[in-house]
Amino acid sequence: MKKSLMIGLAAASVLALAACSSGTPDAGGDAPSTAEPTAITVGVIPIVDTAPIWLGVEKGFFSDEGLDVTVQPTTGGAASVPGVVAGSYDFAFGNYVSGMVANDKGLGLKYVTNGNSTAGNPDFGAVIVAADSDIESPADLAGKTVSVNNLSNIGDTTIRTVVDNDGGDSSTINFVEVAFPDAEAAVTNKQVDAAWILAPFLDSAVANGARVITYNFSDFDPGLDVSGYFTTLKTFEGKPELVKAFQTAMNKSLEYADTHPDEVKQIVTTYTKMTMDQLDAMVLPKFNVEFNREALTKLGKAAADFGTLSAEPDLDTLLP
Amino acid sequence: MRNQRVAGPALGLAGILLFLLVWEVVARAGIVDQRFLPPASEVLVTFFGNLIEPGFYQAVGETMLAWAIGLAISTVAAVVIGLIIGSSSFLSKATYSTIEFLRPIPSVALIPLAVLLFGVRIESSLMLIIYASFWQVLLQVLYGVADVDPVAENTAKSYGLGPLARARYVIWPTVLPYLMTGLRLASAVALILAITAELIIVSRGLGYQIALSQSGGAISEMYALVLATGLIGVIINLAMRFIERKTLSWHSSIRSEVVA
Repeated sequence: MKKSLMIGLAAASVLALAACSSGTPDAGGDAPSTAEPTAITVGVIPIVDTAPIWLGVEKGFFSDEGLDVTVQPTTGGAASVPGVVAGSYDFAFGNYVSGMVANDKGLGLKYVTNGNSTAGNPDFGAVIVAADSDIESPADLAGKTVSVNNLSNIGDTTIRTVVDNDGGDSSTINFVEVAFPDAEAAVTNKQVDAAWILAPFLDSAVANGARVITYNFSDFDPGLDVSGYFTTLKTFEGKPELVKAFQTAMNKSLEYADTHPDEVKQIVTTYTKMTMDQLDAMVLPKFNVEFNREALTKLGKAAADFGTLSAEPDLDTLLP
Repeated sequence: MRNQRVAGPALGLAGILLFLLVWEVVARAGIVDQRFLPPASEVLVTFFGNLIEPGFYQAVGETMLAWAIGLAISTVAAVVIGLIIGSSSFLSKATYSTIEFLRPIPSVALIPLAVLLFGVRIESSLMLIIYASFWQVLLQVLYGVADVDPVAENTAKSYGLGPLARARYVIWPTVLPYLMTGLRLASAVALILAITAELIIVSRGLGYQIALSQSGGAISEMYALVLATGLIGVIINLAMRFIERKTLSWHSSIRSEVVA
């Protein structure tokens, strides 16, 4: 027994060592530039919205700037802010309300580039209801149960504004948390009256008869930026060359992605389980380089008005 | 006895077939929407399709690596600490309430702490796995040490056996069956936590593939992966029972099974 236990432990420790060695990023022998490339890790959610960075890495935009990027998929936005703060990621992808909330709590984050923006009408995100629902307009959502993926975030902030602008009283909405993949089922099974849902689930829900009540991003502001890439203030101030290189490569990636939708769809199939059919049916986000400060100011004000933030965010701290 | 040998696995198989049949009927009859729960036959096709994908085995390997490291560390720690605490009534009394306080804390509640301490790395998964499986083994070792026959212990003492020899010849044989039970429980718990950690923190392995399938709307792929994790759980349990039988072949609990 003792012997077999020892063998087992020895095997486990060998495996542990193997794991350590494979964990260190291998620079590889094909670095054409004279300077050693800087290895960075970027935490992103593996969804369509982050296609530009995957595309940019493939196109060599990052290696042109001397960056050896490891794109690290995270399963939820919950890991990206702690991941950046704890130093696991140099940069991460996250929506602007998440960043505002983090800074409201004093975490000191700074967005360095845009990530994705609303596509207009139709959009990649919407509030849907069942085909037989009596909800016809955003104002009808007042007093109803509406699901969002995360409470006190960009979903309920934009939806409440849209409802108020339509003449409804958004404070009477009962928001509940339902993940996007489960949202259509929640509407179908009448667990909620309406659901906020993103592509690809939005497209399949609509194909199955669900009705769109509002494209809440574009109805909030036709030029709303949704998410961006952020880092810590410490990195932003302490490593200006790194930040500059990332910004240059990322902006090039955003421009390229915005003008090459077919390549965006192609690359999405490499890091998600989405199929080309799903992607062809789907509205892609806009990929803008310029920040829309006006819309983001409005977003920050709305989040503060609804109590998601204790005060309006300082966009000069939040944006570069 | 021969009938029993055959009847056990046959019954188990029948149970699985019945389960799959109920699943198939529930989906086909529209009791749940097929878009949200595809029929078993469709999921099984995806499942067997996975078995020829190299990517699937890579994911399984990553999950099993975290499982093996976590289980090894927690077992060694629990055995050492359990033997030390168990052999001193002072330590047993001093640690009892602390253990009872820490043990029920669900490992998943420690996810924010793990991410803050270790970031989004395998160390975070290991922390969850070790925390959850450590108590399973520790408690069994403590029960085992408490079960040591005082007559045997005193006899060994009076024959002049030192503490190490007593641990080897008196305590260890009593503890071993308990340890094996603890190990079997811990191995299942470690698998659950390994997959949970991959779903939520460290994006690799089977848990990550499940999350990826879910966020891409690949529902039968998701259920096929869930089936695979269940199957791995069964295999681990069978392997642990096999090891248990081999290491405890001398013990009455195993011997009586053979006689009957």
